[in-house]
Amino acid sequence: MKLGKILSAILALAIILNFNGCSKKETGPIKIGVLLPLTGSKANFGEMEKNSFELAKEKINKAGGINGRQLQFIYEDDTGKPDVGRAGAEKLITVNKVPLITGGYSSSVTFAAAAVAQQYKVPFLVNTGSVDKITEPEAFNLTTKDGDKFYIYRLNPPVSEYASGLETLLSEVVKPKTVFIIHESTAFGTKGAKSFKKSAEKLGIKVLGVQSYSEGTVDFKPLLMNVWKKRPDVIYMISYVMDAAMLMKQARELGVKPKLFVGAGAGFTMPEFKANAGPASERVVSATLWHQTLPIKGAKEYFDNYIKKYGGNGPDYHGAEAYSAALVVADVLKRCNGDYSKENIKKALDATDMMTPFGPVKFTSYGKKIHQNKMRTYVVQWINGELKLVWPKNLANAKFEYPINWNKVWK
Amino acid sequence: MEMVLQSLVSGLLIGGLYAILGIGMTLIMGVLKIINLAHGQILMVSMYITWTLWYYLGIDPYLSIFISVPVIFFLAEAISKYLLNPLIEKESILPENQVLMTVGIGMVLVELARSIFTSDYRSVRTAYSDKVWHLGKISISFPLFVAFAFSLVLTAAMFYLLMKTDLGRSIRAASQDKIAATLMGISSEKITIFTYGLGSALIAAAGSVFLPVYYLYPDVGPLFTIKAFVITILGGMGSTIGAIAGGLVLGIAETFGATYISQGYRDAFGLFIFLVVLVFLPGGLKRFTKV
Repeated sequence: MKLGKILSAILALAIILNFNGCSKKETGPIKIGVLLPLTGSKANFGEMEKNSFELAKEKINKAGGINGRQLQFIYEDDTGKPDVGRAGAEKLITVNKVPLITGGYSSSVTFAAAAVAQQYKVPFLVNTGSVDKITEPEAFNLTTKDGDKFYIYRLNPPVSEYASGLETLLSEVVKPKTVFIIHESTAFGTKGAKSFKKSAEKLGIKVLGVQSYSEGTVDFKPLLMNVWKKRPDVIYMISYVMDAAMLMKQARELGVKPKLFVGAGAGFTMPEFKANAGPASERVVSATLWHQTLPIKGAKEYFDNYIKKYGGNGPDYHGAEAYSAALVVADVLKRCNGDYSKENIKKALDATDMMTPFGPVKFTSYGKKIHQNKMRTYVVQWINGELKLVWPKNLANAKFEYPINWNKVWK
Repeated sequence: MEMVLQSLVSGLLIGGLYAILGIGMTLIMGVLKIINLAHGQILMVSMYITWTLWYYLGIDPYLSIFISVPVIFFLAEAISKYLLNPLIEKESILPENQVLMTVGIGMVLVELARSIFTSDYRSVRTAYSDKVWHLGKISISFPLFVAFAFSLVLTAAMFYLLMKTDLGRSIRAASQDKIAATLMGISSEKITIFTYGLGSALIAAAGSVFLPVYYLYPDVGPLFTIKAFVITILGGMGSTIGAIAGGLVLGIAETFGATYISQGYRDAFGLFIFLVVLVFLPGGLKRFTKV
């Protein structure tokens, strides 16, 4: 009899403890992994993205979190190196046990981390890494029909589509006959150059040459001399921010004067580009994925809130991508109905169809890609020290300055 | 022809800058017998000092040499006295570990800079930032030319110090044979500390004059540590003349390679020469000189 009482007491205690444990688990924060370069030469971008993730997190948690539970991001520093990124992704999955990873800045790191996510079957929502193969199942030994086995999703357009807006500007307004392509020598620049070469040929623009350089170069003059020897109409550059500034500064010093300097996003839209290049930044045109003045709901609000919280010149498209990735994560988790398993999250990702400050997000399949968000891109130009949206025409907030009298602009 | 001249000019200008990076490292190498892997990071600290003075007080980067050089000199003396010397004095600590110490110092400097200045890219803009001289069809960037001129002056001053003064003779003596120098009454500890300060002060000056040409972020250092290392080996470890020659050779080789072969392999040309020297001329360019 006594024994029975003790037993039932223990049983009751066990039930209570177990129940406690259970409810504790369900009210704690939901942890999501974020892979970003927080140190190293790309830390500047990583910081901007981290700030944006935090900004979005605060907004989401203030509005009640994920069905009552708080959202928490666990950051892992990839230092901009693929091997470190790989280890970082592995740590997020095996140690922190996150059911979803997001982030992914540079192409080569993101691709390395994507392989890890694929191996552990953990969904990875890429928001910046742009090399095409990240959302091509072929690169992971799968086919485009293996959507249910493919765990990589991408919010930003691939690098081959960065220039789609620019292509129409070139073919409709500038109509150049020749182009020379300069690119930085990692995956981002090399693949971007290849795809722009293809689209230039499609538009009937003759590619006079393609040359690479390594990041952090001090002296670009040999490169620029070789380019200018060929007298191209357009010089197309794929560069990170400070290389972009050095390129333009030295082009001005050498008197390289094509009809148009075109940047392929990345560095050319950042405030630091203008700060370092000075007058040499004037009239430079760049493809971009986002601009705060675009008529997208929430874009301006995000931009202003960012400045209010962190000061400075405000974020560019990298920040908007990160902020929107955080919103997509929250939306996906809300649709999981309390079951935050990897498979359930993947299912919710598949069904995503929402509007973010970066633009509409929906993961689709086309060509060799699956789980890829398709977006349009824009063209901006530095006009009198300010970055203005000049293309497409119906959304522009300034007139595209062309043709350009370099002697006057660079005086 | 025009391309050849322009490449030569660009190569020389960059080479002058490389030389000053190399001299600092080679001095430290000669006396302390360690590779100072915090070299570029000290350059970075000097650049931040210069930037801060320019940004908040409006002091011209070239004038700020008078502040950055003494500040770095004393900082480096402190590093040497309290962090490196205790390791060098203990025979049981292998030289490899002293090198690791400099790596650690470098990391601390980088992260300190990051916590103070964040990872943003910084640059200075002055009236002469965009000034260019044209000699016929050859363009010479004014700030780069000033940096080159400064390196010439500093190199000459360095040379005078090493060859003609008692202090210089002591440094050379300590670098040639530490025990003999000690027996002759030279305090090898003092010389060690002073040399680390001097080598660092040299790159501090380089940092200040280089900032108007380049840009700045916490991780800018390693790029220049590697260059300085290559120059030191090229020139022959511990040789000042060798470092000057090494710097110029590296600058010109890189520029010509970039012009006539490919900019993408720019760094590879320098490293190729580095390998050639290691294989065919072990001991470096100093074999041609006696200094």
